[in-house]
Formats: sequence, structure tokens, C-alpha cells
Amino acid sequence: MPNSARPIRQRAMIAVILLLLLATASSAQDWIRTGTGLGVERVRLAASDFKPSTPDANNVNLLKTFNDTLWNDLDNAGIFDLVSKSFYPLQVPGQPSEVNFSAWNSPPPNTSMLAFGNLGAAAGKVTVQGWLYDVKNEKSPQVLGKQYTDNATTDAVRVIAHRFADEIIFRLGGGVPGIAESKIYFVSERTGHKEIWMMDYDGANQQQITHTGSISLSPRISPDGSRLAFSSIDKGGWEIMMYSFDLNRMVSFPRFGGMNLSPSWSPEGKIAFSSSRNSYPNIFVVDPSGGNLKRLTTGQGPDVSPTWNRKTGSQIAFVSGRTGLPQIYTMEADGTNLQRVTDQGYAVSPNWSPNGQFLTFSWERKYGPGEPGSNDLYLMDIASKQWVQLTHDAGRNDFPCWSPDGRHIVFQSHRSGSDQIWTMLADGTNVKQLTFKGGNTQPNWSWR
Amino acid sequence: MAAIANFDIYSEHSQLRRPLAWSLGLHLAFATFVVLYATFIQGFRGQGWGTGGTGDAMGATLVSAVPLPANPTESTNVLATESRGLAKSEPSVQEKEPEAIPIPDKNTKTRLKPAPVKSATQRKPQPETFESNQIPYGEGGPVNGPYTMTAGGAKGGFGFTGSGGDFGSQFGWYVQAVQRKVTENWLKYEVDPRIAEAKRVYLTFDIARDGHPSNIEIEQSSGVPSLDQSAVRALQRIDTFGPSPPDYSGSKVSVEFWFDYKR
Repeated sequence: MPNSARPIRQRAMIAVILLLLLATASSAQDWIRTGTGLGVERVRLAASDFKPSTPDANNVNLLKTFNDTLWNDLDNAGIFDLVSKSFYPLQVPGQPSEVNFSAWNSPPPNTSMLAFGNLGAAAGKVTVQGWLYDVKNEKSPQVLGKQYTDNATTDAVRVIAHRFADEIIFRLGGGVPGIAESKIYFVSERTGHKEIWMMDYDGANQQQITHTGSISLSPRISPDGSRLAFSSIDKGGWEIMMYSFDLNRMVSFPRFGGMNLSPSWSPEGKIAFSSSRNSYPNIFVVDPSGGNLKRLTTGQGPDVSPTWNRKTGSQIAFVSGRTGLPQIYTMEADGTNLQRVTDQGYAVSPNWSPNGQFLTFSWERKYGPGEPGSNDLYLMDIASKQWVQLTHDAGRNDFPCWSPDGRHIVFQSHRSGSDQIWTMLADGTNVKQLTFKGGNTQPNWSWR
Repeated sequence: MAAIANFDIYSEHSQLRRPLAWSLGLHLAFATFVVLYATFIQGFRGQGWGTGGTGDAMGATLVSAVPLPANPTESTNVLATESRGLAKSEPSVQEKEPEAIPIPDKNTKTRLKPAPVKSATQRKPQPETFESNQIPYGEGGPVNGPYTMTAGGAKGGFGFTGSGGDFGSQFGWYVQAVQRKVTENWLKYEVDPRIAEAKRVYLTFDIARDGHPSNIEIEQSSGVPSLDQSAVRALQRIDTFGPSPPDYSGSKVSVEFWFDYKR
């Protein structure tokens, strides 16, 4: 009988302790309580056209460039549900004081976020003010407020729009920096020779980098973006070449002899590549200076196309034909723990995702005469070896490469009738063509 | 006489032996049948090892594992679940023990009489001192407090205020980003394929100002180790949630995050 009184006393004591704990904890910091299954949806975002803030005649052009660039960047980000402009109220704000919350946070726009601002050119300079408002939260709506100043040119305005879009993506995308300012390097034969070119991530600003006059392949940009490694043929054979963006010219890199192909940068700046200097193509690793050459694979290979685990830098995936048709293998960065990850068909061009979880590669699963299908892009989870197909029924697709944010993949596809560069989201949706002129192949996305 | 008596006893024993043998034999036969039934017949009927759906590599889960916003999933309306939610647990009615017959003794009168146990209906409403932060076992969700959705129409997630501040109401977008990121990084195929449904698992962690999660702990286990592990791994996969809102003055935010698993 006396034990009926005891639990109450015990519970009371526990309660007091809990209350004390709670009091100390809650006074120290804020709590968020949330969970799964509450509906994970894309952020509904409205991006109203920026308004002119000065009476300059140049504003019209600049505003058009700015608004188009901003809209495309936000649309490409893959994390927003952009509200169509036809739903917007007639009066769009250019200043925080002009925001009419009820007009935005209820249908038809029914948006939760609103990007707006103004742009004004004066005396050759342009000033852009941009805000991001959480319009469903009228008490403290501001998420972001930015001001930019630069020369009043469309190029400068494009960069400003990229920066502002990246800020929005960074804030609302869980701390992953946006890719609006990233670059894509690729091989183009539009001049008659296969040379290395570069462009913005959206296909704008295409420009030629190398002028070797021979054949240059597999461009790979260094993690800090200062150097570009590629393989090129000259009178000595296929060698790894190096281009410096600091000096804007070729810089010397050792010649290893034999056939040297497909360089790949580790996050620390080491270079893995395939070399046949010891008679068979094997994977070698070398310091960024070209010294300290080490051989990682042995045997008759051929082993080509190494790619580093971009997160850890401690693993390398590569293609090997040691069992006949090319297959994808992984190994540690010192050559140990060799594992085959594809089981059939013809698998090439591996590329490791920035978070280290996934490999994407080109795979013809049923290879041989009379077999249906062609090269398609696949995504494999390295830990479980489960894969999904990303492209379907769309010509030959090859050379996939991850974007720095891990949300996009750039690749080469023959679906339009010639080899061109395309991008898509990493789940295979939102496919877009970036290049149209000549033949363009082997894209490589910058590290940031 | 003695010899006959002894004989009688032995004959009785020998009469029992046969039924005993029968009984033993039948018991053994029944036990064997039960074991065979359980291992073979029942075993084949249930799901075997390795047939749990992951054999087919076309896992639809993988796409949602890509760090991209997942397709809109049907959300559980927190207001209309079958959970009893915040309802207080009914206290179990204690059965009164039958009164023992008092042994006449001198001490009987001085013994303290135990307080009468009141049934639930008789109990007076007590001031809510400690039950306010208790969550019914296996349930949970929003405890009482200001319900700080960013606005009426927003579906995705809600922030929550401790008594220390109003992070959820001020920075609802950050709470949603956290929720989205954790959900994206939670790979459901890591959970044992034989588990069809499990209780919620609750994790707590801190988010520093730079967005880095730390102190990841299982607050309440689901009872399924692989589910607990997958939840912890989801957090471990995340480098950053992005820096705290610039207007936020605190040094860190604490998060309680739950995972509902259903195959």
C-alpha cells in the first residue's frame, strides 16, 4: 500500500529536475521541433521584374538582361517552384515599403518567397538593390537585402544577377552555394581543330582557350580554378598539358612518354591519369608540379579515365578493360581495395559527385550486335551499389560531370543529331541544351 | 504379505509405463510438428531472406536520395492523425487489494492508514506542473505552445519556439530548409527491408551559427536499430544547413527532429 504514494513523489522529483533542465536549456538557445512527412515541397518563389530607379535611357537594356538572367538562374537551380509572372499583381514592388503582402501570399500568386528590387544606371555606373522577402511572415519578412554597384554594361549586370541569384539559392537551399557563376570547360571542333573552350554554366560567353592546332581532349579544371589540365597530341605523342589562368598561357608539365590521357584532379590538387609509359595503360598519380610519379594499377589493363572522390580525395574510380569490355572499378587512392562496381555491358566515363555518395557514368547495359539500347547515363550509390537510369531513349549520352552543388549534371549527347553539351538536374529532369555550333564534347564543370 | 504388497506396487508402476510412453511420444510428435510447421510451412509463407524488394536495383528511393528537392509528398496533417497527440494518458486504475483480515494486535490502531486511492473520474484536476512537457509514449509532435507556422497556407514544416525565443516564427524559411535537407539526406533503403512500419524515432542535434550540425543524439529510439541508424546517418551526411539567419543573435539552434518510417 505505501507504494502508491511513492511514484507520485518520484514523479514530482523527476518533474522538478526536468523543469530545471528545461529552464536552463531554453534560456540558452532556441529550439526547432520538426520532422519528416510534413510535406517536403519546393520553395514557392516569385521573382518580380526589377524596377528602374533612375531616369537613364540605358536602364531598359540592363533591366532586360538582369531580369532574364535572374529568372533563368532561379529556374535552373532546381530547388524552386517559380511562380509564373502572369499570376503577379499589377503593382510589383521596387522598394520594401511597396510590398503588398496580401497580394502576394494569397492566390493567385500564393508565393512564400518574393525576390524584388530596383536597378538604376547613372553616369556609367549601375546600382542594383535586391531583397528577398518571406511574404507569409509579415512581422519580420526580410531574408536577404543586397546592394551591388558596377559599370553599366550588360556583362556586369549579368554578373550581378548571377550573384544575387546565388545568394538566394544559398539562403533557401540549405547552405549549398549556387552555381550561377560556375564555368563549364569543353572540347569544341568549331574552328576545325579540337580545342578547349569554356562557357558560363548557362551556355553564355563561349570562348576559346587553347590554340594548339592539333587535337586536345578531356579538359579538367583544378579545384581552385587556376589551372586546366588536358591531354593533347603533338609530335611526341599524347601528353598531359597544363594551361594557367593566372598567366593566361600554357605552362610546362613533365612529359612521361607513352600515351598519357584523361587527367583528373584530386581535391588536394594531385593529378591522376592514364599512362602507357610502362607498355600497358595504367593509372598513375603525380603531384601538381609533375613530380613524385606513382603507379597505382598493374597488369595489362587498359586502365583509363580515373576520377577522384571529390569529397574525401581518398578513392579513385576508373575504367578498366581487364576482363574484356570496359567496366568501372573503384580503389583507394593508394591502389588497394580494388572493387568492380558494374557487372555487365560497356561502362565508361565515371564522375564522382561532390558529396562523395554517387558515381555517374555512361553505360550500355546490353552491349553487342542485335542488343537494344545505347549509351545512357546512370547514377550509382557507391555504398549500396544501387543505380538508376538518368537518360532514356535519347541517342548516345556520354561524359557526365557533376556541378559543384551536386544538383546538376552536364553531359554530351547526340540526341539533337550532333554531339552537343547538355545539362540536367541530377534526377534526370529539366534537360537543357547549352551548345549549338559545331561539335562539342567532353564537358567538365568547375569545382565552384 | 510383504512380498505381495511389493508386487502390487510394482504392478501399478508397470501399468503406468505404457500410457506414459504414449503421452511422451505424442508430445514429441506434436512438438516436432510445431517446429516443422514453423520452420517450413510458415517460413515459406512469410517473406524470406533477401527477397525484401531491394534485390531489384531500380530503387525508386535513390532518386529522392539525390540532394534535390523531392517530389511533393503527401503530408501528414498533424491536426488529423490518429494519434492521441497531446491527450493526457489515462492513468491505470489501480485495483484495490482485498483487505486482509486484521490480526488483532496492539499495534493495529497506531498503524498509519494509507491514503485512499482515487479513481480517475474522482481525481480532481491537478495544476499542470510536470505533465505539460510529457509526450505520450510513441507519439509526440507539437507540444503545446504557440503554433508558429509562417502563415496559413504554408504546408512544409513549422518552427517552434522554446521559451527562449521565437526562432520558428521569425525564421520559418530556415526551419523549412533544415527539414528539407534532412529529408533529402535520409535514405530509406538503409532500413531493414523486413520492417514495414515503425514507431517514430526522435533525434536531437544542435546547429551552430555556421550551419554545421553537432551533438547528434537519439532522443527516443524507434526500437528498430537500422531505422535509428539511418536517421543518424542522414544527419551525419549533412555538412551544413547554411549559416544561421544574420538577424539571429543566438550562437546555436537546437533541433528535435522526428522520422516517420513507413514502407
